[in-house]
Amino acid sequence: MKKEENSKGNRYGMVIDLDKCTGCGLCTVACASENNISVLYDESDKTRNIAWLQIYTITNGKDFPDTEVVYIPRPCMQCDNPPCVSVCPPTATRKDPNTGIISQIYSRCVGCRYCMAACPYHARSFNWFDPSFPEGMDRYLSPEVSPRMRGVVEKCTFCHHRLMRARSKAYAEGRRELKEDEYIPACAEACPTQAISFGDLNNPEHQVSQLIKSPHAFRLLERLGTEPKVYYLSAKNWVRRMADNYLAGELS
Amino acid sequence: MEFSRRNFIKFFAGGLGGTLLTPLPWKLIDDIAIWTQNWSWVPVPGKGKFSHVNTVCTLCPGACGIQVRKVGSRAVKIEGRSDYPVNHGAVCPLGMAGLQVLYNEGIRWKAPMKRMGPRGSQEWKEISWDEAIDTLAARIKGFRDKGNPEKLAAVDGNQSRSTMALLIKRLLNSIGSPNYLRMPREEDTHSMVNFLMQGFDSPLTFDLENADFILSFGCGLLDGWGSSGRMLNVWRRWATNDRQHKTHIVQVDPRASNTASKADLWLAPSPGTEAALALGMAHVIIKEKLYSKEFIDNHSFGFSDWFDEKGLEHKGFSGIVLGKYSPENVENITGIKSRVIIEVARKFASANAPIALAGRGKGTFPGSLYEFMSVHALNALKGRVNNKGGTLITDDVPLAPWADVVYDSVANNGLTKERIDRAGTLRYPFTRTLIHKFAEVINGSHSSPVDTLLLCSANPAYTMPDNQSFIKALKKIPFIVSFSPFMDESSMMADLILPDHSHLEKMVDIVRPTGIQYPLYALSRPVVKPLYRTRHTGDVIISLAKRIGGSIASSFQWANFEEAIKERVSGLYDAGENKVSWEDVKKNGYWYTPRHFFGKRSDIFKTASKKFEFFSTKIELAIKTYSKGLRPGKPSGLEGKSFDDALLNLGISAKGDEVYMPHYEEIKSGGDKNEYPLLLLPIEFINLATGWIGNPPFLNKTLFDYQLTKDDLFVEVNPKTASRYGLTEGAKAILKSPKGELSVRIHHFDGAMPDVIFIPFGLGHTAYDRYLKGKGVNPNEIIDPIEDPLSGQPVWWNTRVKLIKI
Repeated sequence: MKKEENSKGNRYGMVIDLDKCTGCGLCTVACASENNISVLYDESDKTRNIAWLQIYTITNGKDFPDTEVVYIPRPCMQCDNPPCVSVCPPTATRKDPNTGIISQIYSRCVGCRYCMAACPYHARSFNWFDPSFPEGMDRYLSPEVSPRMRGVVEKCTFCHHRLMRARSKAYAEGRRELKEDEYIPACAEACPTQAISFGDLNNPEHQVSQLIKSPHAFRLLERLGTEPKVYYLSAKNWVRRMADNYLAGELS
Repeated sequence: MEFSRRNFIKFFAGGLGGTLLTPLPWKLIDDIAIWTQNWSWVPVPGKGKFSHVNTVCTLCPGACGIQVRKVGSRAVKIEGRSDYPVNHGAVCPLGMAGLQVLYNEGIRWKAPMKRMGPRGSQEWKEISWDEAIDTLAARIKGFRDKGNPEKLAAVDGNQSRSTMALLIKRLLNSIGSPNYLRMPREEDTHSMVNFLMQGFDSPLTFDLENADFILSFGCGLLDGWGSSGRMLNVWRRWATNDRQHKTHIVQVDPRASNTASKADLWLAPSPGTEAALALGMAHVIIKEKLYSKEFIDNHSFGFSDWFDEKGLEHKGFSGIVLGKYSPENVENITGIKSRVIIEVARKFASANAPIALAGRGKGTFPGSLYEFMSVHALNALKGRVNNKGGTLITDDVPLAPWADVVYDSVANNGLTKERIDRAGTLRYPFTRTLIHKFAEVINGSHSSPVDTLLLCSANPAYTMPDNQSFIKALKKIPFIVSFSPFMDESSMMADLILPDHSHLEKMVDIVRPTGIQYPLYALSRPVVKPLYRTRHTGDVIISLAKRIGGSIASSFQWANFEEAIKERVSGLYDAGENKVSWEDVKKNGYWYTPRHFFGKRSDIFKTASKKFEFFSTKIELAIKTYSKGLRPGKPSGLEGKSFDDALLNLGISAKGDEVYMPHYEEIKSGGDKNEYPLLLLPIEFINLATGWIGNPPFLNKTLFDYQLTKDDLFVEVNPKTASRYGLTEGAKAILKSPKGELSVRIHHFDGAMPDVIFIPFGLGHTAYDRYLKGKGVNPNEIIDPIEDPLSGQPVWWNTRVKLIKI
């Protein structure tokens, strides 16, 4: 199977503990400011705005005062079987066999949005407009991430530039292997309750490899076979059940 | 060649084939692809050397340590500082979006401005700093020379202990005006509780890091309460402790807020009955003798019945609580099952390090005094004062005092006049500042008693509950000077703008960030050079004082603000365990002594009884003094009558000794229950800025489309309540209170208490740029505040409203 493709290299993955996530939105802000994400005048238009990391809310559906709210931060799932890659006509998006990260090459993208249709997680955003930054705000743009142009699709890259940065540093020091905490995406670094863990799923020493063995670990829409590398943890049964679609009466 | 159809087709087919053989079309397509992606308005970030600057975020008094990544001279990213003792790496979304506050050209004042057209016309003229300061100095001198220095007033939003606040207060003092007003905060109520029950004039602080049971009466621990970076970090510690030491969190909240959803137990009493709930738990603890006998017997006053010097018997706290607040009674008041009250009280009492916290939302607004006292009584019952994981009484930050203010005769005379807001008078004995009263007095007088108003780090025209009254007052004030760096609602009404730097362009300090239990001094430093022709308000005030001259100039001897800070900081050099220098404090961004002598309880309380006072002798004295003042010189036979009048005036409905003790006061509200059957409860989100800083665009990204859609704000309503009004999800409705009406949309939320409308603070700006202006509505416009008993602070969470379907 395809997912065995990079069993030798790194397979970067993320584990998000939903019981620890407080829904503060810091991951979204950290992501946006790290990755030069543009802001629309009307950010409430969720079909037009750019969100690499979107937070969703679910509730247990019980009446007051037994209601519980759980937040689900959703970056790109960086699937091992990425449905977006196979549909891309100009190969603007592909899976890196050495890291498992799904890349997005903006200058190759023709804006057909097949990938957006294929992605079951809505993890991709299309630039309907020229990138807009409120007047003066282009001054905080980071040179590590290229701003996107109108007409291309963009998505979470697991902060790939941070991997490059960490690699350059390691290579300069004569190392080929990165340490666990050397490469962390901005969201995981920012998470104030440390609900987001990040590491190499191929490395049994890394915390993520241990966390995904938990009986509370699950992935979104697991039965589609996309094999996401973003895992979630929740001790709550109803949360785990809500992560996939089930027929009435069907037992999971 | 003959021009025929055949030849025509041949010519074009050949031409097409030939062109396709050349690289031209492919090259053109490629060029078009590149060209369409290379618009000149796609920004190209400038390159430069990477560097990191450590500083402190001063967007709120939470003072989180931040690290700013710079590329060349530009700041490109803000991250939390993991070596900072307040937040240990965690920051809030607003702090992380701080660069949008710094660099957003659309919201910043770029130079001193003078109003040209009529007020509100937004016609401004750029002026020089010299002219700006001269204008203000001449204005102040004008009324001061006539012997009316009290015509100057200031509204200050800087943290009360910070050097900026001290400097502004010093300016008013030296000029001779008592009218220094502050934006009210929850800390004010915590300070009052500390003053009345423990004798200290500083906010209560809680050793949350070491607590193992948190009973929060409404504090949005995860919704931005206190120093939010610290709270998120503490939450992480609580959650990652192993199972045996896991901190148990009970959240009292009328809505499934982030905190309530994440807590181990969520209790939802009727809003405003939190005091009764706390006392119901006190009842269980007293009745089952679960309290700390050692603390109650040795260090508390007024727990049991007692006799005063005149031999009169007084009821003790225990007697009143046992008599009035049985779990069954409290169930009737709060709606919380008596079984649950007993269970939680027992759990609280059996925990090793429990803390009861009073508060609401982010703590942006003051709370109810008796309620906060009732909650703190739980801490006292368990002897949590000065215990590890309890409420700590610690030393102040040992900053060096400045030289005394020099007063001339005008100043001395001016300072004897009564404050316009009447705070600190016999009627409001424990309240320092009452900004709503200030507006009320101005609105009620023929011509404004204030000639010149200074607005510093505050946007009361937007943030104040019932802001419309304040706007009305602003319109009456002849001359308004705004020091705001931002084009906010209040500065739009000003006559003179003296713009401050943004937080990342200046050095300011925060003394003991909100809720931090140890003496900690936070000092920020400039990260980037000022972008515009702005000037540090501290420097402006020093130049202004010098320009006014005389005794005022003598009170401001420093060359600039940094010197004024430096002089205070000099007190820290030898105060800690290790000697530090100015450079050390500047480099670290903090000074801190994390040591504390736990367990010390004797001789620490500064009350009249030298003990923790369940029966507050200060309240007793204040009310008795006030009641005498009501009937000066009347025969003693009327004393009883005047005393009842006093209570009535103070808004207290309790009688007898209960008045001096923590008790439950039913908060009345203005609206008629039949006409306005619903309750309006403003709520705060951690990802929506609610204070004087406008919400940056990145935070708009984090709002859900059921919170804001286009320009429509959603209110959260229980589906049952909404369906009673025939309001479906997303339906438009009018929200009407006695003060006014707002147009909103409905979001059905199971986690909302029935018959309560939850409306977020933070949107509905009428100023700032198009990313913020006109989005949503501002609940402050329809809040109908009444005064909290005794403290007189505005009660902002008890407005009656009705929903009208449209």
